[in-house]
Amino acid sequence: MDFDLTPVFQIGAVGFITAILHTVLKQAGKEDIAHWATLVGFIIVLYMVAHSVGDLFTEVKRVFLFK
Amino acid sequence: MVKLIGALLVLVSASMVGWQISRSYAKRPVQLRALLVALQMLETEIVYGLTPLQRAFVKVGQRVQKEIGNIFLSAAELLEQGGALSAEESLQKAILRHGAQTALRKQERDVLASLSQVLGSSDREDQQKHLRLAVTHLRGLEEEARAEQNKYEKMYKSLGFLGGLLVVILMF
Repeated sequence: MDFDLTPVFQIGAVGFITAILHTVLKQAGKEDIAHWATLVGFIIVLYMVAHSVGDLFTEVKRVFLFK
Repeated sequence: MVKLIGALLVLVSASMVGWQISRSYAKRPVQLRALLVALQMLETEIVYGLTPLQRAFVKVGQRVQKEIGNIFLSAAELLEQGGALSAEESLQKAILRHGAQTALRKQERDVLASLSQVLGSSDREDQQKHLRLAVTHLRGLEEEARAEQNKYEKMYKSLGFLGGLLVVILMF
């Protein structure tokens, strides 16, 4: 079984960058934009996670429903 | 390998965009200062030198920083062409022509434009009064520009870099 770790690192990196973006924007006094940036980062991560979970579901179907 | 080069390209170009924006923030106070100097020279030329406006524009334009000086030089050129342009019209046209090359915003352009309505159309004292008014106005704007520079210059630099990094990671 080969498990691809790339998405995990990708999600981690996006979270990291979002955190830095938030701090930078907050320090510049643009807190409303900082919150929007965090929200966008969160949505991106959510999208990636949804993809992975969808893959997991098809895998489960394949294993247990003998398609 | 190609992927890596592409990633580097995206990262570099995004950082350059951020750097360029931050540079316009750094340039604005410098150019505002140049504009202040220019207006003060213009005051000297008008009030004490009694120089004709066209020659005063040329003198001022040659002595201050290039981007700002171009506005005055172009205004002088338009005056000299003698297409029946008033001082106001020629200065307005010069601002339109060269304003985009400077880091000046609409506020400064408005100050210059309202000043242009007076230049060359009233007596010495009145012009001096309006020049002083414009100078105080620009001083306030300069303070503001400096504060903005401190605040946003660094932010845009890191914003460009981080945005590039985000794009690279999303596409990798």
